[in-house]
Amino acid sequence: MPVAKDVMIECIDVNKEYRRAGAIIRALVDINISIKSGDFIIIQGPTGCGKSTLLNVMSGLDLPDAGKIIFDGENIARSKEDRLAKIRRQKVGFVFQDFNLINTLTASENVEAMLWPTVLRSREIENRAIAALRDVNMLERKDHFPVEMSGGEKQRVALARAIVGKPRVVFADEPTGNLDPQSEIEVMQLLKQINKDYETTIICVSHRESVAKYGDKVIKMDKGRII
Amino acid sequence: MAFRLWRKAIKMTLREKKIYVIFTGIYTILIFLTSFFIETTLSAGGGFLSNYFIIIFFVTSLILSLLYSWLVVSRNRRTFATLKCIGWENSNINSLVTGIILFTTISGFIIVIEGLFHYAAIMGYLQSIGMLTNYPSILISLTPVVITFGMFLFVQIIAIILANRKILKVRPVQALKRVGG
Repeated sequence: MPVAKDVMIECIDVNKEYRRAGAIIRALVDINISIKSGDFIIIQGPTGCGKSTLLNVMSGLDLPDAGKIIFDGENIARSKEDRLAKIRRQKVGFVFQDFNLINTLTASENVEAMLWPTVLRSREIENRAIAALRDVNMLERKDHFPVEMSGGEKQRVALARAIVGKPRVVFADEPTGNLDPQSEIEVMQLLKQINKDYETTIICVSHRESVAKYGDKVIKMDKGRII
Repeated sequence: MAFRLWRKAIKMTLREKKIYVIFTGIYTILIFLTSFFIETTLSAGGGFLSNYFIIIFFVTSLILSLLYSWLVVSRNRRTFATLKCIGWENSNINSLVTGIILFTTISGFIIVIEGLFHYAAIMGYLQSIGMLTNYPSILISLTPVVITFGMFLFVQIIAIILANRKILKVRPVQALKRVGG
């Protein structure tokens, strides 16, 4: 009999508005979703539909105006920044469209940076970074700087940084947006592998239709609502 | 943990070669001149002109430190936003920035002290063989250098406090903004 999965993230009546050029934009309207632990979710929709806003509030990068975000059993909708930072460090990994690697650090140092503010010993941090780089097939490039890498390689290093802290959830914001089709396949397959091997919940925002096939579930959004 | 972040700050500073060399060079000159005029004031009474120069160098170092801290935070705004995204707290980033700012100043001091030691050694040798006997064997004594160190440290603390206030305003969500977008 299959074991019932825990609920990892639950959004209850989440609303978010922006004020832009005097006009109020309803970025999220009455969002109610439940994401189970180990799910691979793809969020899709046209530009400006609110998919990145949803990712931001679910990950604690932004706060909703109303509603609850239950993240691993804790309502983070009104949490203070330091508490959110701690949750992100312990339970979350991020993958960005623009990779966001630090140019003055090598690949392995970029991965290690995730763990520098922890109590782990330096040797342990190095070992974990090496293991994460091995997982994404980037171990041979560990001493290279971001400027010496292709887009696909940078994104793989960013993936290693996202998983080095052994997160419960990886949030990916248009992870293939700046990649060629071959690199897109590699990155999405790696995300799928991470999801399978470590049972990490993956929440991926993408406007590309070709990405949808990697998810267990596709959430479609339009004008701030789930459709 | 703060010690680890300071070590990483030194590494990151050294890799930003151009900015590091420019600011360390300017700090070195300012520290040397401030120490020199304090030495003049202490040893020979100095006078108005000497005190005037000390104030000029102090104010210049203050402006320079504020400029440097502003530069460090502004250039790395996206990096700090990314670090916040991946779970760094404000205090962690503050430690990193404190390390970057202090390292540049301390580098200037080490260069000045090193230079003064070399000057004393060379002058000691030349005077022992009867050359340049009219010049002082010690250009600047320890007291003015320590006073200058205190002054510059005070200035750095102001710069660090301002940098820390700027870091608080960096929102993690800024990391998600597209480059050039």
